[in-house]
Amino acid sequence: MKDRLSALMDGELDDRSAADVLQTLASDREAVETWRTYQLISDAMRQGTQLSEGFTARVSARLAQEPTVLAPRRMQRESRRWVALSAAASLAAVALVGWLAFAPQPQLIQPGQPVAQAPVADPKPNIVPLPTQANDYLLAHQGFSPRNSLQGMAPYVRTVSEQTVQPRK
Amino acid sequence: MLWKLLVAGLSALGPVIVYAQSPESLAWLRKIQGATQKLSYTGTFVYQNGGRNETSRITRFVEPAGDTERLEVLDGVPREIVRTRDTVRCYPPGSRLVKVDRRTERGFPALLPEQISALARNYDISLGETRRLAGYDCQAVVLTPRDNLRYGYRLYADVKTGMLLRAVTVDSAGQQIEEFVFTQLTIGGVTRDMVKPRHASGHWRVEDAGAAPAKLAGWGLSSELPGFHKIVELKRRLGESRSAGQVVYSDGLAAVSVFIESLEGRSDPVRTGLASVGAIHIYTREVANHMVTVVGEAPAASVQRIANAVEYRRPAAATGEKK
Repeated sequence: MKDRLSALMDGELDDRSAADVLQTLASDREAVETWRTYQLISDAMRQGTQLSEGFTARVSARLAQEPTVLAPRRMQRESRRWVALSAAASLAAVALVGWLAFAPQPQLIQPGQPVAQAPVADPKPNIVPLPTQANDYLLAHQGFSPRNSLQGMAPYVRTVSEQTVQPRK
Repeated sequence: MLWKLLVAGLSALGPVIVYAQSPESLAWLRKIQGATQKLSYTGTFVYQNGGRNETSRITRFVEPAGDTERLEVLDGVPREIVRTRDTVRCYPPGSRLVKVDRRTERGFPALLPEQISALARNYDISLGETRRLAGYDCQAVVLTPRDNLRYGYRLYADVKTGMLLRAVTVDSAGQQIEEFVFTQLTIGGVTRDMVKPRHASGHWRVEDAGAAPAKLAGWGLSSELPGFHKIVELKRRLGESRSAGQVVYSDGLAAVSVFIESLEGRSDPVRTGLASVGAIHIYTREVANHMVTVVGEAPAASVQRIANAVEYRRPAAATGEKK
């Protein structure tokens, strides 16, 4: 199971296998724990230099008052090769998390800033092609973007994009 | 450095959070906004998302009665959009159709000066590099989101006039996901003729969205996304005849629309899931025999979170009806 969780994080599973693993995650507590640990390690390794002030305290507090919900992030863009770690390597990584968390943080982030947002508990979305009427939605939406105040109507170009016009099947 | 300590000290004393922003960076945003309102210009810009590039011409003509803006895509199938003070007319490719979207209330929503200051709640705003673009010396204004619920922006504006020459949207990993950049720009010298639609629309079919403010009884979010607040709620038509409710949430810069359409009488199944185009994500799901489509310039997780928070509660007064 650990291998498959790891593969899921790497985005290496096809839809079917991914669905199976997600199904398992829905019922298997142990698998969920493993998944959370992997996510935590991943986050810590990738954001090690961005941990904010007081991060350690907050993490400890969070851990103390479960449930901490960690869910998969978007997978396409960021490769997570490292996750193909063996169980032993995972332990080493956990040690690294500890080390990172307790190391002095060089970066002082302004107070009141949200901590690395408690990741969303929503399941990984099903990726679908753009709706056939995507341009209708985009046109209806664009008029309310405050961004128009800074940029005029340039962002309206999205509402007539060819990529949302052509694939009418 | 000292002011940061001071701010840290103050916040430690109470729950009031002070986001100190350098006055210069806020002044720059106001300057960009002012330029967008006051300048007449014509220029060519490239819109890029993912591996796609598209070149368009934009022309803006300002006169005391209001302003008119025309956008024309120069690559591929000709497409054109013309915006006047209260109406957007869109001429989609090869359709012999004009899509019309009117604002009845008070023109298009503008970013007010006080809202610019309020942006600091969700973004850290600072000045970046200076760079020459299309012959203009530009100053970069960097908006870094304070959490991962929104994108970051780098805006490059002409030092002299404040005209925005380049806008880049970046994700939490700092990767560029969308860009608008002028390759040629002339400020001033625009005539009214230059913003007239090229398309002869006399015989074209008109599709009016008929948007009007409305209360969508029973519909709401179980929880709002931090920093995003409802800015408008209305009824409208989408396409030729589908009537839809639309609720827009915004954090002051990014906006997310929730569209609600009845599934009654609809034959084709709803394709639920996530789609994207540039910095826009579109998430579709079904709620209470309605199709909910959430469209927003925000990370996928944020759009999905808003979509999943959409709920319908039967209004207490109107029982028995509906469904």
